[in-house]
Amino acid sequence: MSKSLKCLIITLVSVMISAGVAFADEFTQKDVDHWQKEYMSVVEKGRSLWGSPELGTNGVACGQCHPNAANTHPETYPKFQKQLGGVIPLRQMINWCLLNPLEGQPLELDDPRMVAMEAYIMYERRGTPLAPGQH
Amino acid sequence: MKSRPITRRSFLKGMGAATVAATLPMSLVEVAFADSSENFTFAYISDSHIQHIKGSKFVRNWDRGLIRSVAETNMLRPKPDFVVFGGDLAQLGTKPELDHGAEMLSKLNYKYYCVMGEHDYYLDLGEYWSTLFGPHYYSWDHKGVHFIILNSILTHDHWTYDRWPTAKQRMNEMAGLDNPNGSPFMVGAKQRQWLKKDLAKIEKETPVVVFSHSPIQKIYKGWNFWTDDAEEVQALLRPFDAVTVVYGHVHQIQYNQIGNISFNAVMATAWPWPYPQSYSQAATYLPKLTVPMNRADPFFERDATGWQFMDIKTGRVDLNYNLYSNANRTVAYNPKTGRPEDVSYQSPDKRISPQTHY
Amino acid sequence: MKRFNFCLIIAAGWICLFSSMPAGSAETQVPLGLPELTYPEANPQTQAKIALGDKLFHDQRFSSTGDVSCATCHDAGKAFTDAPLKVSEGIHKLTGTRNAPTIVNSAYFTTFFWDGRSPDLEDQALHPFTNPVEMGLKTHQPILDIVRTDSQYKKAFKNVFGKNAASITIKDVVQAIASFERTKISGNSPFDRWRYGGDADALTPRQKRGFDVFVNQGRCVSCHVIEETQALFTDNRFHNVGVGINDIQMVVSRLANEFLKAKITMSEVDIRVLTDQRTSELGRFAVTRKFDDMGSFKTSTLRNIAATAPYMHDGSLKTLRDVVKHYNNGGVTIKDDPVNDFLSGGIRPLNLTDRQIDDLTAFLESLTSPEFAVK
Repeated sequence: MSKSLKCLIITLVSVMISAGVAFADEFTQKDVDHWQKEYMSVVEKGRSLWGSPELGTNGVACGQCHPNAANTHPETYPKFQKQLGGVIPLRQMINWCLLNPLEGQPLELDDPRMVAMEAYIMYERRGTPLAPGQH
Repeated sequence: MKSRPITRRSFLKGMGAATVAATLPMSLVEVAFADSSENFTFAYISDSHIQHIKGSKFVRNWDRGLIRSVAETNMLRPKPDFVVFGGDLAQLGTKPELDHGAEMLSKLNYKYYCVMGEHDYYLDLGEYWSTLFGPHYYSWDHKGVHFIILNSILTHDHWTYDRWPTAKQRMNEMAGLDNPNGSPFMVGAKQRQWLKKDLAKIEKETPVVVFSHSPIQKIYKGWNFWTDDAEEVQALLRPFDAVTVVYGHVHQIQYNQIGNISFNAVMATAWPWPYPQSYSQAATYLPKLTVPMNRADPFFERDATGWQFMDIKTGRVDLNYNLYSNANRTVAYNPKTGRPEDVSYQSPDKRISPQTHY
Repeated sequence: MKRFNFCLIIAAGWICLFSSMPAGSAETQVPLGLPELTYPEANPQTQAKIALGDKLFHDQRFSSTGDVSCATCHDAGKAFTDAPLKVSEGIHKLTGTRNAPTIVNSAYFTTFFWDGRSPDLEDQALHPFTNPVEMGLKTHQPILDIVRTDSQYKKAFKNVFGKNAASITIKDVVQAIASFERTKISGNSPFDRWRYGGDADALTPRQKRGFDVFVNQGRCVSCHVIEETQALFTDNRFHNVGVGINDIQMVVSRLANEFLKAKITMSEVDIRVLTDQRTSELGRFAVTRKFDDMGSFKTSTLRNIAATAPYMHDGSLKTLRDVVKHYNNGGVTIKDDPVNDFLSGGIRPLNLTDRQIDDLTAFLESLTSPEFAVK
C-alpha cells in the first residue's frame, strides 16, 4: 500500500472514532444502561398486563393468584406438565392460564404481550438458579 | 389419589382413617370429651372473593367455591353451634358482589357472624356491608368462651380519606395484593381502646377467641400479611390464659404461638396464595411452626381451597381443615408443648413432597 | 469341526433365549402406547394359571341360576362389556344400577368398580358372585364345591397352585381370574400409531383437530391422561362430573346423613350400591364417607371407548357425542340445568363449537385397538 493511501486510511479512521462510531465489539456502560431501559420498558408492560382484567373475559388478573409473579417457577421450564400430557415451555403454561382461569383466548407464542409477561415473570424471579424439569 | 400402587394394607388403612374423628366431621365414632357440655364446634368459611363480571354474571370459579363450602358445612354432624365468615366476601366491595355473596351465605342452616375484609371495605368503607352483616367489630359470649370480631384491615387515615380521588380507585389500589401503592393493615387506636374496655370485663381464666381478617402478626409486609399494631393488640391479649386468634386473608395454612396466644389461619374458598418464601426478591417471615398446605394443582379449581370447622376443647381451638381433593388436615393445640401442631405432619420426618414450596 | 461350532451356536442361542425370559413367565407383551405393566408379587403370571382363569371367567355354574358368569357382563365379543345394556343384567335378568366397565386394560387401574371399593382385581372378583342382582350366591361355598369336585378343575388347581382339592380356597379362584384379566391389554390404536408410532397419517385431519380440542379447550387430558411416551387415558382418580347426582341434588344432604346413620359396613356397601339407585348416586362417598368424594366416580379409560356404549356409571349417556355435550354444558346433560354443589373443580362449560364437538368425537373413535374395531 502506498504511503499516501495509508495516511488517508488512518485519517479516516480517526475521524470516525472521534465522531463516536464504535466498532462491533465495543460498548460502553452508557449503552448498557440504555439497553436496560429498553428492556425494563417491556418488563413494565408485563407488570401492567399482570394486573390487567383485559387479558381474559371474566375480569380475573394474573396477579390475583400470582402476586409478584410468585409460584410461576419459570426456572423449571421446559418441564413435563402432567396435566397437559407432555413437556411444555413456560409460554404454553401462560396460555393455559389465559384459557382457563381467565376464560380468555391463548396468545400467539411470539405475541408482544406474551413476551412482556414472560419478561416480567423472569424479572421477578431473577437470581434463581435454573432447575429445568423440576416438578 | 396418588399414582403409587395401592397395597391392600394401605387401602384398608385409608378406609379406616376415614372413620377417625380427628379429620372427618361425619364420623361413626363419637368424639369423647372430658366434660361434653364445655365442648362445641363452629365452622369457618372465608375469602370467597365473589367477583362481578357484568349483569348477572359472576366469576364462576369463586362462586363454586363458596357454594360447595356452604353445602358441605350444612352436612356437618355433629352440627356446629354457629358459622363465621372470615372476610373478603366480595372482590371489589360492590353491591352486586355483596348481595350475591350474601345470598349464597343465606343457604347456611346456622346462625353466622361476619368479619370485615379489605375487599369488602374500601369501596364504601363498609357502609353497605353493615346493612347486611351488622357492626364492624363487637364481641359476644358463648358457652363460657368470649368471642371478639375485629376489623383489622383499616389503615392510615390519610391513605383512606385523602390519597385517592375516587372510592373506586381506592378499592382497586387495595385490591392488588402486591401493589406498592397499598398501605399496611391495622386495628387502629379507636378499636384498641374499645378492645381494652371490652376485655376489662373478662376474667383471665375465660377463653378468648379473636376473629380477624389480617394476621395480628407481622409476616410479610409486601403482601399485607401484616398488622401494623400487632404488638399492641397482642399486649392487650396477654393477661389471659387461653387466647386464640383466627385470621383469614392469607389463603393458606399457617399457625403460630406467640406467648399465650395461638394463631390459626384459615383457607380461602376462592383460590390459594403462594407462601411468602416463594417470592425470591424479598425477605419474608413465615412462622417456623407451620407445616405448609399441599401445593396447588391449578387444573383442579378447588385444589388448595377449602373451609374449616373448629373444636373448642377446654378453651383452645383445634382447627380441622376440609380440603378439596386433598387429605384433610388438623392443627390442634397441644397442651404438652403449649402450641398448635399438625396432628399428622408436625415432626420433620413426617413431611411429604407436596408440602415443599419454592 | 464346523458342525460342532454350528451346534454350539444353536445351543448358545437357546440358552440366551431362555435366560432372558423370567422363570415361568407368561407376561403379555406391552402394545404400542401403553406403559410397562407390573404384576403383583403374590400372583405371578403363568400360562396354566391364565388358562384356568379363562375357564373360571366363563363358568356359568358359579351363579344361583346356573346361567351367569363373569363373561355375561364382560363379553369378549363386546370389548368385555355388555354393550348396549345401560346397566348390567344378572340372574333372572335382574338389573343393578351401574354400567359394566370393560376388563380391557384394567390391569393398569389402581382401584376397581366405579367407586373404587376394591383395591385389586383379586378382591374385585369376589363380589359379583355374592351380589343378589349379579350371580346371586349367598356365599362362595358353591364355587368351592364345584372346583373341588370337578375333575378338570382339580387337575388344573393342582398344576397351578400345587394344591389338593380340599385345600383349594376362593383366593386361588380369584387369583386365577385376575391373572386371566391381566392378559387383556390393548393399545396400537390409530391414535397410538400417530402419536407414538410416528405414522403421520394414522389420524384423519378431523381427528387431529379433535386431539387439539382434547388437550386444550376440551380439558379432557386433565383426567383422561395422555403422556409423552404412553397414554392410559385415566388418572385413576375420582371425580363428580354431574352424572346421576343431579337427579338427587336436592336431597343429597339427607341421603348422605341417612346412609351414615344406617352404619352400613363395607361388605354391605357392595350390595347397597347395586340395589339402591339413590345410594349408588352417592358414588365414592358411600365407600370413603368423605365430603370430597360426594357423587364421585372413577375416571374411565377411553381406550376402545367407541366399542363400549352406553356411557357413564349409570349408562345414561347413549353416544360419545352425548358425553361430549354433557361436558361442554359444564356437568349437566340438559344445557342450563342447575349444576350440583359437589361438582369436581375441573368441570366447567367448555364453549365448544359444533365443529369442535364433531372433531372431538371423531378423535375418541381413534382410540379403538384393532382387535376391538367396531364393525
